[in-house]
Amino acid sequence: MAHILAVGGGKGGSGKSFVCANLGVLLAKQGKSVLLIDLDLGTPNLHTMVGVDNPKIGLNNFINKSTNDLSRTAVPTKIPNLYLISSTRCSLEVSNLYYVQKQKIIRAVLQMPSDYVILDLGAGTTYNTLDFFLSAHQGITVFTPEPTSIQNTVQFIKAVYLRKLKHILKQDGFTRIMKKIGYETEDGAVRSPLDIVENIMQMEPERAQMLQRELRKRDFRLVLNQYRKQVDEALGKKIEKVCNRHFYSHFTFLGNITYNERIFESIVAKSVFAEKYPYTPTCTDLKNITSTLTESAPYPSSEQEQHVQI
Amino acid sequence: MSKFEELTYYELLEIPPNASTFEIRQAYKEALSIYSSDSPISYSFFIEEERERILESIENAFATLIDAQKREQYDKRLVAEKKIDPSRVEKGKQKKPTPIFSTKSQAENTISDTIKKRIKKTELTQITEELLSKDLISGDDLKRLRKAVGIEVEEVFEVTRITVPILEAIERDDVPALPSSVYLKNFLRAYAELFHIDAEKVINSYLKNLDRIQGPS
Repeated sequence: MAHILAVGGGKGGSGKSFVCANLGVLLAKQGKSVLLIDLDLGTPNLHTMVGVDNPKIGLNNFINKSTNDLSRTAVPTKIPNLYLISSTRCSLEVSNLYYVQKQKIIRAVLQMPSDYVILDLGAGTTYNTLDFFLSAHQGITVFTPEPTSIQNTVQFIKAVYLRKLKHILKQDGFTRIMKKIGYETEDGAVRSPLDIVENIMQMEPERAQMLQRELRKRDFRLVLNQYRKQVDEALGKKIEKVCNRHFYSHFTFLGNITYNERIFESIVAKSVFAEKYPYTPTCTDLKNITSTLTESAPYPSSEQEQHVQI
Repeated sequence: MSKFEELTYYELLEIPPNASTFEIRQAYKEALSIYSSDSPISYSFFIEEERERILESIENAFATLIDAQKREQYDKRLVAEKKIDPSRVEKGKQKKPTPIFSTKSQAENTISDTIKKRIKKTELTQITEELLSKDLISGDDLKRLRKAVGIEVEEVFEVTRITVPILEAIERDDVPALPSSVYLKNFLRAYAELFHIDAEKVINSYLKNLDRIQGPS
């Protein structure tokens, strides 16, 4: 079974597709077979990023049932070992995917024969995006150092967290508990996921333990893109710390990706940065992130125990 | 967020209970960079009231731990509530910052200790008795005493902090190079005490000898 990485984040333009393409190239260069899937449904562009101008076949063939084998919709790229399933030929309304279609895609992705599958997700927090993100072994959130990006990233993490929370509770009388707690606080604001967990813990300590255990299995990875020298170097680490302190899941900051003028050039040239400019500090950053990803087990359970108390 | 308020001040700032004031200050700065109102992190993470509550806890934690008296009281309370191990906050167990301008760093202490040990080990009775029986003690006598132990002037400097040129002047009876008598007496005392011999006798005999040298001129 393939190891699945999902790359998401609340904010558009933070470099999700850029990270996907470069992770793909670097893993492929290690001799691993890598499949990129563009799940930025409705606004796909990963094919341009990796230089596949007009993919003849793609996710549309799977969605319209012209094939039942998702792996047959993949096309090779210029880089050996790197394949792409594009969604550029899908309907313009594809972002409103039916639940059944979504489930079908997720099931098929889990069966892919390659070593790694990398899912490129769109910005925002629609159910589709969140569920694709949650289906992966490792979920990577890409953000940039602007307050707007940090804000949307935190929002995205909270949305994923809430979605997961609901998934867990759904199997276990969620509606009853939610009714008891109330979706809204007294002053009318919608409860934050943290608030919900807190409340469940106070009201039903037994169930809360199960909940914590399940949430702890969730593993978030953070990447700071467009890092510049005037940015606090420890920003990513600090966000990691706050997340680990206040959520019951496990967060790891993978590293900064230094901003580079040439990224623009590589995108204009429709070639992947790590392929075109391998001897740049930015590419070193990407390599470091790739090796951290491949070294770490998807669910480092022993490490997670340390965060129980907080 | 109620969990956050259950943390001890030490847990809140993520420092050990025996942290030094320096570490407390550092941890406080670090916490502010995350939770203060102008940090983009806390801005995105918490609603206004949550952040204010957290900041207040951090301020309280810092104000308590940085004040030695308040910290002691707080530690007592934590021990009573069995929240921390009493052995970790015992008096004197708290880490102290290393002073930057200390003249006696640990490395020097060990050097002077080994020198002192060497002097103690050496059998000096004969040479000291010979020295003390003299009416006049010259610099050369002191030098012989030093050579008998087998230590260099630099090593005498390590222990006594009398500079090498002055030590050499004393050993050569070099009158023009010697300091004024108040200092000289103190230096001789330090020198004599280093070798565990009667300091008063050495000072008197040495000065008498100097007088003799200066006398004829």
